[in-house]
Amino acid sequence: MRLGVELGGLRLKNPLIAASGTFGYGVEYEGILDLSLLGGVVSKGLYLEPRDGCPVPRIVETPSGLLNAIGLQGIGIRAFVRDVLPRLARYETALIVNVCGDTVEEYAEVARIADVPGVAALEVNISCPNVKKGGIAFGGDPRMTHEVVSAVRKATRLPVIPKLSPNVTDVSVFARVCEEAGADALSCINTLLGLAIDVERRVPRLAFGTGGLSGPAIRPIAVRMAWQAARAVRIPVIGIGGITSTEDALEFLVAGCRAVQVGTANFVDPGIYARILAGFESYLQRHRLESIGEVVGSLRFPDGEAPGGPGA
Amino acid sequence: MPASSTHRPPVNRDVPLVRRQALEGPYVLLTFRHPEVAAGARAGQFVMIKANTVSDPILRRPFSVMRVDPSEGAFTLFLKIVGPGSHALAELRTGEEAGCLGPLGQPFTAPPEDQEAVFVAGGYGIAPFVLFGEELGRAGRRARAFYGGRTAADLQLCDAFDGLGVPLVCATDDGSFGHRGRVTEAVAAHLDTRPGPVTLYGCGPDAMLHAVARLAERRGVPAQVSVDPWMGCGLGTCLGCVVPIRRPGEARPKYHCACTEGPVFDARDVVWP
Repeated sequence: MRLGVELGGLRLKNPLIAASGTFGYGVEYEGILDLSLLGGVVSKGLYLEPRDGCPVPRIVETPSGLLNAIGLQGIGIRAFVRDVLPRLARYETALIVNVCGDTVEEYAEVARIADVPGVAALEVNISCPNVKKGGIAFGGDPRMTHEVVSAVRKATRLPVIPKLSPNVTDVSVFARVCEEAGADALSCINTLLGLAIDVERRVPRLAFGTGGLSGPAIRPIAVRMAWQAARAVRIPVIGIGGITSTEDALEFLVAGCRAVQVGTANFVDPGIYARILAGFESYLQRHRLESIGEVVGSLRFPDGEAPGGPGA
Repeated sequence: MPASSTHRPPVNRDVPLVRRQALEGPYVLLTFRHPEVAAGARAGQFVMIKANTVSDPILRRPFSVMRVDPSEGAFTLFLKIVGPGSHALAELRTGEEAGCLGPLGQPFTAPPEDQEAVFVAGGYGIAPFVLFGEELGRAGRRARAFYGGRTAADLQLCDAFDGLGVPLVCATDDGSFGHRGRVTEAVAAHLDTRPGPVTLYGCGPDAMLHAVARLAERRGVPAQVSVDPWMGCGLGTCLGCVVPIRRPGEARPKYHCACTEGPVFDARDVVWP
């Protein structure tokens, strides 16, 4: 298959994956688009128990971006396995569960419960900026990152894909730690920590205070960080950050990502997958390439050398 | 997850602008071709829409469907230009396209047959009641509308119920048109006339909706309100538009998505700020 990719033991029909927190549990898009078009779907973040999430307002738009503090409102892993998974079985797409936890033990327990037929891989959420425990508290500390990823690794035979935070000085350090801890692939990146202020009332525009920034505003940062991560490890990297078009997705692939996730753009246009896939086909034709894999890591720097800097 | 619904599933398409009718001030009527919305939208339902001519702001905006014309395959929105999203839509020229998903959300529920429907609209909250008035008229039900704004210029659709047999009372805060004062005061005055059993329907600013809920509670009449929080996706996936709702028998409020479980809620269940 021209668009097929292999991702740490996970075979995808194409490199397009719906990002966690932007595609619900997949079933919300039934009847609006053909879920079998997608290479994969990552669920909304799931803890052991249902969660209420943050107070409102939870979202605010910023230039070419979306700042959110949803706080991982969700139905919990048991309800997902019991109620949602059977409804998704008919679709030919890889279902990836986004695993959350307040403690290392909770991550491992969610991973164990998620290891059932129908689930293709686990993405480990060590990078949500909108929760007081877990999330970035784990993903911002290399030792804790190692502990969480190791625990999930031991709890499942499914491919394990930590989702890295951009809110660190050197993402390649965290990429290597995850590889050492047994990760099969990496998702790069989660949202950037941001703050938007209502100057009339002099309060944050989000009820939680700070939030996670997504959308085209963060794309160059995301491409750079995914590129750094891909250079630092041998396991495949999934690029995430502000993809709205074929060209955007190709940027990540050329930078060295084996696949990409579409996030905020899901809110804007459910037709984006069909559009990007058609764009991939015409790009392969135009460049006389046999498969999308030939694009991966094909980035060349004019003088033959990458610029320096952290992680480069 | 979306509430189970018997309505038609929403359809995502690029929709050309068919007609643009500028009203006074920041108000405009926009008609787009979208056969599924035209055929299936019910009063209280909305579309998520954004002009394809701009990339920023990135999100689509929710707008109530004001009118449908199934034979033309088109629907009409009543727009107040308040920010860059609505501005870009209002700037579209005939034939230019917007990305549009709809129809979305839970519609108003018609009152029991013996009851009068009382619409309470604030500003651009009048939009869904135009469609509701037509629906109820076709069903042979009685309806009455109260339409409020800050000033006369905010009441741009005073003729929208002409020919529908829906009596209209207007109210402005500054008294420049109709009753002077809050629209809910005019509604209260109507209830004072003992009009028989009624159901109140509210669409407008949160403060007005809250006032409708209080009035309904005091007078012991049912009320449905259409809320309008910031909304990201319209499909219940971003969880940005949640509203605290406490249904009878529930110990504490739960967040419900305005986009899929609303925007119309029973006024008694909404936990007001």
